[in-house]
Amino acid sequence: MRRSSYLNLLITIIISLIAGGIIMILLGHNPFKVYAELFKGAFIGKFNIGNTLGRFVPILLTAIAFAISFKVSVFNAGVEGELYLGAIAAAWAGFAIQGLPKVLHILVCMIVATIVGALWAAVPGVLKAYYRVNEICTTLLLNYVAIFFTSYLVNNQLSSHTGIPQTPKVLPSATLTMILKPSKANIGIFITLAVLLFVYWLIHYTTLGYKIRSVGSNPFFSDYVGIGTKKIIVIGMLISGGIGGLAGGIESLGTYNRFLDGFSQFIAFDGMLASLIARNNIKMIFIIALFLASLKNGALGMERFTSVPKSIVDAIIAIFILLTSLEGLINIRRKVKTIEA
Amino acid sequence: MLEKIALIFNYSIIKTTIRYSTPILYAALGVLITQQANMLNVGVEGMMLSGAFTAIAVSYFTGNWFLALIAAIIVGIILAIIMAFAHLKYDADIIVVGVAINLLSLALTRFLLNNVLGASGFFRSPYIVPIPKVHFDFLTKNDVINTLFNNYSMFEIIGIMLVFIIWFLLFKTVWGLRVRSVGLFPQAAETAGINVYKLKFSTMIFSGLLGGMAGAHLSLGYSKLFVENMTGGKGLMGVAAMFFGGGDPIFTWVGCLIFGFTDSVGSRLQPYGLPSQFVLMFPYITTVLFLTLSMIRRIRRERIEKSSLK
Amino acid sequence: MDFKLINKIIEMININKSFPNVKAVDNAGIDLYQGEIHSLVGENGAGKTTLMNILYGLYQPDSGKIKIRGKDMESLTPRVAIELGIGMIHQEFMLVRELTVLENIILGFELGKFGRIDFSKTKEKINYYLDNYNLEIPLNKKVRDISVGEAQRVEIIKTLYRSTEILILDEPTAVLTPQETKKLFEILNFLKKDNKSIIFISHKLREVMEISERITIMRNGKHVNTVNKEDVSIKELAKMMVGREVFLNIKREPCKKSKKILSVRDIYVTGEKELSKLKGVSFDVHRGEVVGVAGVDGNGQSELVEALTGLRKIEKGDVTFKGKSIKNLSPIEIRKAGISHIPEDRNLRGLNRSFTLYENLIANHFNKKPYSRLIQLNKKKITKYGNRLIKEFDIRPAIGNTVAVNLSGGNAQKTVVAREVDMNADLLIASQPTRGVDVGSTEAIRNTINYIKKKGVAVLLVSADLEEILSLSDVILVMYEGKISGIIPAEKAREDNIGILMTGGKVK
Repeated sequence: MRRSSYLNLLITIIISLIAGGIIMILLGHNPFKVYAELFKGAFIGKFNIGNTLGRFVPILLTAIAFAISFKVSVFNAGVEGELYLGAIAAAWAGFAIQGLPKVLHILVCMIVATIVGALWAAVPGVLKAYYRVNEICTTLLLNYVAIFFTSYLVNNQLSSHTGIPQTPKVLPSATLTMILKPSKANIGIFITLAVLLFVYWLIHYTTLGYKIRSVGSNPFFSDYVGIGTKKIIVIGMLISGGIGGLAGGIESLGTYNRFLDGFSQFIAFDGMLASLIARNNIKMIFIIALFLASLKNGALGMERFTSVPKSIVDAIIAIFILLTSLEGLINIRRKVKTIEA
Repeated sequence: MLEKIALIFNYSIIKTTIRYSTPILYAALGVLITQQANMLNVGVEGMMLSGAFTAIAVSYFTGNWFLALIAAIIVGIILAIIMAFAHLKYDADIIVVGVAINLLSLALTRFLLNNVLGASGFFRSPYIVPIPKVHFDFLTKNDVINTLFNNYSMFEIIGIMLVFIIWFLLFKTVWGLRVRSVGLFPQAAETAGINVYKLKFSTMIFSGLLGGMAGAHLSLGYSKLFVENMTGGKGLMGVAAMFFGGGDPIFTWVGCLIFGFTDSVGSRLQPYGLPSQFVLMFPYITTVLFLTLSMIRRIRRERIEKSSLK
Repeated sequence: MDFKLINKIIEMININKSFPNVKAVDNAGIDLYQGEIHSLVGENGAGKTTLMNILYGLYQPDSGKIKIRGKDMESLTPRVAIELGIGMIHQEFMLVRELTVLENIILGFELGKFGRIDFSKTKEKINYYLDNYNLEIPLNKKVRDISVGEAQRVEIIKTLYRSTEILILDEPTAVLTPQETKKLFEILNFLKKDNKSIIFISHKLREVMEISERITIMRNGKHVNTVNKEDVSIKELAKMMVGREVFLNIKREPCKKSKKILSVRDIYVTGEKELSKLKGVSFDVHRGEVVGVAGVDGNGQSELVEALTGLRKIEKGDVTFKGKSIKNLSPIEIRKAGISHIPEDRNLRGLNRSFTLYENLIANHFNKKPYSRLIQLNKKKITKYGNRLIKEFDIRPAIGNTVAVNLSGGNAQKTVVAREVDMNADLLIASQPTRGVDVGSTEAIRNTINYIKKKGVAVLLVSADLEEILSLSDVILVMYEGKISGIIPAEKAREDNIGILMTGGKVK
């Protein structure tokens, strides 16, 4: 991406931080002190930077998941649901399957999580590809269905019966090795980087990637040339959902070692935003995901040490999104018109 | 068994259907207007949430529900203006801006809930003055008629009136014709001398007004409290109802009523052992089914229209 | 010829207009006397439409002066232009398909009180004009359900309803049959008698010579000359338009036709509009033969091509190719059977504008060896293939990594032609192959068609350009309202009998 876009991004970040600073002043805090605590909370100390990395992993993965659906012109706002379903599937495989060596067990859990996420995303994918149903609506609504469903499971069949809505702990053979203890960081980061590289290769160096890019940019041309547009849309969603489910699996096996009801505070939306802001450029997604992760993690430290509430950070992020959207985003919706009034 | 069904499906379900469908109806009408100008306003969810919070807060501080309503409308319009500027002047993708507004509303309402109302999670107070109900004494004579036609919130009545007002505006007035042309073929509108920018802006403002009203009804007319993220997808159901109605106000209303109905049925089934999560899931699954059915209907219709065999 | 030299009603002087990639209008201008019909001619891309869009207020000029009735005009908008009596009928009709004819006519100038539309008063006013000018249009039908000729009349009524005094028409005859063109000219002369002034944009020089009094020629955005009709010949006009000697007719290659290769039997095909659904179309194509399909756009030609290439459903009847049925096969199966397709809309279907030249050129082969193995693409082989085609077909710029959106119309079309012709198919279906293409590329593409015909390839040529059909086809089918209204062999084909068939009439 051109240097000027990096510059624009930097300027937007600075303006958002300034806006946040103004809010802090209005609340009677010293913005420099607050930002210092924010920075410390994000980066200083093994615990802090480990947790930032721990947050970075799901944000990056969900961003990639969204980016892929976007590449086939589908706005998959349902990654949060795929995340939840993948998480509970992995947790279940993690505590229910016994007697497997570690590498195999983790592999099985991840595959289960990926498949569950993929199939869940296939539903709105098929509806869009074959029936032109607006996917923004369906995916957003299905999020709620997924979250409620996992909530039901974790309170009933899959409950650990400890009074807290969570599954039993996953077996040690299914736990992702921690790094940078005592933070929540784990080898999920390496899995994530591997996925990143795989996706990049897939999109730019393979025939499937050619088809995906073709369908996303011009479905009429794709049909004419013989690329099955509808099939590719569904495949794109399968991959997208799969990665979303995988992200959930990493959360269950690494960060929490079980499935917790409501564990994700809309992480997938952070990922979606990172992807939108980065305009699907992989390098930018990496940077923005890291930025969001550090803000969110740093906010915890900030709240603890300055009594400035976390929601300020959410407000800063929202302002940031608004500002970046003004950079004259390419009108992506124009390409595939789903429904006319 | 039949008794159980009678308990669920008695005539009072009409009232609950109307009550549950009203916030969705306001949202749906707001989305409908911008959709006629070819803008999909997913930010209506944020407008509703902000409106809901504003209404509660102002009612609490002033004890005046009318001021609360006006404040909610103003907040909705402000958000609409931000969206309109970002999209029309700076070419931002309308979906992204809508999502941004939703997130902003979520963050700001949570923040203000904590710091201005001093509460966490939800806020309830006896000082909150709700939107009054419309009560006719002469109707209390008959039980059935009383249940069916009395004690509606003002908003529920206005909502139904709005359906027809908006239908008239869109199809019988100059503004409506121009809005539709702008949404269908903006270049044609431009060559006819119409200011496309101004017209689209006006639809957005109208949408903000309705979104703010939707929120006010949700918190002040409905539950008399504010809960974090209390819109919970209702704005989106409004979007779905709009698609279901194919952009026509009356069919959109039908869609909202169906949502309200399934919602009512769902909550009535709860005491019979249906787990709470499934009850909660009900409206969302229904909406997805609806969207699918309406698209299947449309595709079938198109197929027949395009067929060369008759 | 009667024109009132009272005053110059329009003057455009030293107008300049640039867009990001191109200088569309380069110090050009035009003037118009009241009661005059003045033609503005030039090739595609000469700047004629842009210049008129500036007059109509859709664009602001970078510099220059515009005078209307002697007064200097600053910052024109369509609203102001219309109020000053200027009306413009664009090449693509500015009609909203989903609205009724009535709603389209009144849009922006609705009659009524307090914002409410008074439909009966409106109908009165419109009927007045309809009666006065002897025009007939169905007011309550939706625009998507009326014919092209009717749509153009709706555009004309729009201008009358708005009390237009100065009418600009952009390529109005592109969508008309010869007979409808005659009717249009009658209306224009009628308007002229009513003292209205007309600017007529066209590249059809014979019509220009018939209808106008003065002619302004533009080329590459510049003003070349303004002449009186009496003082110039068609050949001279063409030379001024293009800048060199132009051969307006390519000689038809003699036909050495052999075996039947495509047989279409009584097909019924879905259609976007009622009049474009195919209802029982049958014909054959032989190897080494060019079958031309003539007809005004919108009579089913697009549907026919889509049906034969797997992009549209054939509901009844059958199509056999090389003995096997290809009815309702997928596009890729049809390609495999040996049919290649130059689509009518290169921007929508023919190319992927966001792909590079290489990616567009390899589109028919990317899934096969040696351009990919398993799932991995072989970029080196793809580059080599692309370079060969770029050279063979003289595509410019000759840089394979150019993103297709930066190609000019002619080069974009050459890319599509290159890709399709290189498939060495047995049947090439070419739809509007030279629409919107510069003269040089047009010559090259027509020569290519003649070349492959010599090699024994069968060609189905669909074109709304009658001259193109007449110069390339061995036999001509005319389509009208979803059926073939007539088949005429090349020796007997002339503009007038084809023209009659295009309007649904019959010839012996």
